[in-house]
Amino acid sequence: MLKLITYLLQQGVATAKNICPDLAEGVIGLPMLTDAPCQSGCTACVEVCPTDAISVFNIDDANHVRLDLGACIGCGYCVDVCPTGTIKNNPTTRVAVRTREELILTTAGAAAEAANKELVTQGRTAAAKIPTADSLSKASWFGRSVAARVVSTGCSACDMELGAAGNPIFDMERFGVHIVASPRFADALIVTGPVSKGMQEALVSCYGAMSSPRVVIALGTCAISGGVHKGGYAEANGVDNILPVNVYIPGCPPHPWSIIHGILLAMGKEHLALAKKK
Amino acid sequence: MKLERQQTPFHELHDILDHALSKSSDKRVGLLTSITGGEIATLLLSPKDGTAELMVTAVENNKYSSFSTHHAQFHWFERALFDFFGIVPEGHPRFKHLLLHDQYAQDFFPLRKIDLPTDFRNALPRRYEFLEVKGEGVYELPVGPIHAGVIEPGHFRFSCFGETIVNLEIRLGWVHRGVEKRLTEVPWQKAHFVAEAAASDTALANAFAHAIAIESILDLEITERAQYLRTIALEIERLAVHIIDVGGIGTDIGLLGISSAMGRLRGKALALADLISGSRFLRGFIFPGGVRPVSERKLSEIKAGVIALKKDLTPVIQMLSDNQMATERMKDIGKLSKSLAAEFGMVGIIGKACGIDCDTRRQFQQGKYPELAPEPSIEIGGDILARTAVRVGEIWSSLKTIETLVDNCPHGEEKVTVPEMLPANATGLGIVEATRGELIHLIFTDEDGKICRYAIKDPSFDNWTAISIAIRDNLIADFPLCNKSMALSYSGNDL
Ligand code: SF4
Ligand code: SF4
Repeated sequence: MLKLITYLLQQGVATAKNICPDLAEGVIGLPMLTDAPCQSGCTACVEVCPTDAISVFNIDDANHVRLDLGACIGCGYCVDVCPTGTIKNNPTTRVAVRTREELILTTAGAAAEAANKELVTQGRTAAAKIPTADSLSKASWFGRSVAARVVSTGCSACDMELGAAGNPIFDMERFGVHIVASPRFADALIVTGPVSKGMQEALVSCYGAMSSPRVVIALGTCAISGGVHKGGYAEANGVDNILPVNVYIPGCPPHPWSIIHGILLAMGKEHLALAKKK
Repeated sequence: MKLERQQTPFHELHDILDHALSKSSDKRVGLLTSITGGEIATLLLSPKDGTAELMVTAVENNKYSSFSTHHAQFHWFERALFDFFGIVPEGHPRFKHLLLHDQYAQDFFPLRKIDLPTDFRNALPRRYEFLEVKGEGVYELPVGPIHAGVIEPGHFRFSCFGETIVNLEIRLGWVHRGVEKRLTEVPWQKAHFVAEAAASDTALANAFAHAIAIESILDLEITERAQYLRTIALEIERLAVHIIDVGGIGTDIGLLGISSAMGRLRGKALALADLISGSRFLRGFIFPGGVRPVSERKLSEIKAGVIALKKDLTPVIQMLSDNQMATERMKDIGKLSKSLAAEFGMVGIIGKACGIDCDTRRQFQQGKYPELAPEPSIEIGGDILARTAVRVGEIWSSLKTIETLVDNCPHGEEKVTVPEMLPANATGLGIVEATRGELIHLIFTDEDGKICRYAIKDPSFDNWTAISIAIRDNLIADFPLCNKSMALSYSGNDL
C-alpha cells in the first residue's frame, strides 16, 4: 500500500488544465462545412456516408450540402472524398448543443431552413407520448453541481468515453459532476445508445423516478438519432422519441472533452469550456 | 475463409456432432443458426488445422429435436434460433426467449424469410418466467436492467440462501438493436460501419472479421502491409481493453490507486489507436480491401509509444500482483472447472483461465496470424486470479507483438481495388481473436449476390453462462468482482 501511495505521489497531477482543447492533428473529429463552393453535380460525400447524414441539393443552379451531425458517426470518409474542401474535418471538441436544429448544417443558409426543420421531426415515431420537459427557467439550477444518472442502451463505447471523462486526465468531478447510483438523487439523466424496444420502458421509469427539475442529455449519435440502427424493427431511433432532451452531444462516440462540454452546457457553465491559450 | 454449404440430413448431423464434440475430438461448434428459417446451419471448427465446415440441414414442420440435451453448448444458440426464426428445438431443457422481450408481437420472428407453416402456433409466452428456487429461507434478489455504475444493461436474478448464491439466472437482450438484420439492409460496401457498432470496444475486431469474410467471398488478396497494419491495430484494441479491465479489478478490490493509474494508462493505449487510425476506438480503419493509410512516421511513434507504455505499466501491474490482499481476494473465487468450461464451449479469457488452449490467433488465419501469433497466455486456476493473470499475460504479449510487427511492417499500398459485386450463393467466414475471445462473422449471399443473412457470434455469447456456473455457491458480495473478471459484452451478445 505504501508503495502505491509513493507511486501515485511521484506521478504528480495528471489533470489537463486546458479545458476542451482542439483535437490533435490527424485525429478525426466531426465534419464541418466551409465557404468553399460545392462542385456542381458532385455527390461523392453522399455516396460514401454510411448513415445518410449528408444530402446534396440545388438552389439557383448551385450545388449545396446539408449535413446532419445528429446522424453522422464521424467516420471522416466524406472529408476524404470531398474535392472542393467544402466538407472539412472539424478539430473542435466543443460540439454539444441545446437543440436538435443546431446539429443540422447547410451551405445554403436561410434558403434551406424549412427543409432543415423537416429533417428534425422526420422519423420520430411516438411524438405524442413524449412528456413535456421540466421548466428550467433558472439556468443556474445545477450551476454548482449536478448529479447524473447514466442509462446505457448502446454499444458501450459512449459509456467508456463517459468513464474516461471521469479519469484523472479529464476529471469532470472538478466541475461538480457526480455519477450517481440511483435516479432518486439524480438531476441529470445521461442516455447513451439508441434506446431500442428492450430499454424503452426501463428508461421511462428511470426518468419518472427522478425529481424535478430534470435535464436529459443524449450522449452520442445513437442517442440523438439512432445512428446506424435508425429505422429498424427494434425501434432504435434515439432518445427524443421517448423523452424531452435538453442537450445533444454528437459523435460516435463523442470525445471525453465533448461529453464534458455537453454536461457543462446542461449546467449552464459552458463558458468554462472556452479553450484558454497556453 | 470461403465455405461450401454441405447439405446434411438430420440423422447424419446428429452423428457428426456426437463425434465432433466427443472427448477424443478437438473440434468445436462455432455457431448454430438459420439462413431463411427453413433450415439450420451448423458451423463446425477444426482448430488444429485451421479449417471449418458448414452443414445445412433442412427443417421439416418448423421443428427438430434439440441438440442441447446432449451438447450443452447449444443451449443459447437454440433459444436465439427460435427468437429470430421461429424454429422450435423440441425437448430443449430450458426453452424460453433469449433476446427478444415482451414488447414484440407473439409471432414476430425478424430474420425469418419464408412463411410460417399455416398450422404453426407459437406456444411460448413472451412473458419471461425466471427459474424459481424453492425452499425455506431462499430469497430472490433482482438486479438490473439498469445498473448502478456506467455499464451496459442486463438483468441478474439471484436466488440466495443467506449470503450464498444458489442460482443465478441472467436475462439479456435489453440492447438488442437488430444489428444482424441491418447488416443485410445496407449496401455491403458500407456494412463495416454497422459491424463496428455491434460492440464498440470490439469495433476493430468486428471490422476485421467482417473484412476477412467479405474478402474470402471475393477471393480477394490484400497487401502484405495491410495485413501487418490490421494485426497491429487488433493488438492495440486488445491492449486498451485489458488495461481498463485489470484496472477495474483494482476498483472492485478497493485499490483505487491501481484503477486510476490504469485509467490514465488506457489513455496512452487509446493514443496509439489515434495514431494508427485517427480514432480512439479504431473506427473506420479496416474495410474490405485494406486499411486507411498509415505513414512511417506514425508507425515509429507507435513503437515509441509501446515502449513507453510498457515502462509505465510495469510498476502498476507489479503492485497489483505483489499485493497479498488482492491475491487472496481473487483466489478460489468465481471458480470454473476445465471440464464444464469445455462442455459449454467457453472461449477467450475464460477458457484460457481454465487451461484450455483456445486462442484462435494460433489456429485460424487472421492478418499475420497464425504465422506471428504470440505464445498463448494460459492459466489453470479457473478463478478470478487466473483470469486476471491471463489478461496481464496478454498485455505483455500484445506489447511485444506490436513491436515485432512494426519492425517488420513492409512498405507498399494499404488497399487494393474491390469488385462492385459479391458472387451469388457464396458463404464467407471470418474468425478473429477479439479481446474477449473467438469472434465469428458468417455471411451468406443469395442468387443475386446480395447479403441475405449475416450472423455474428460474439465471444460473450458463449461465455455468459460461465458467470452463472462460476458464481454458484459463492457469496453474493463476490459477484461484482467475479463479473468484472469476466468483463463480458452485453451489446455484442444482444446485437
Ligand atoms: S463523417 Fe459523418 S457525414 Fe461524413 S461520411 Fe462519415 S458519417 Fe457521413
Ligand atoms: S453513438 Fe456510436 S459509440 Fe455511442 S452507442 Fe452508438 S454506436 Fe456506440
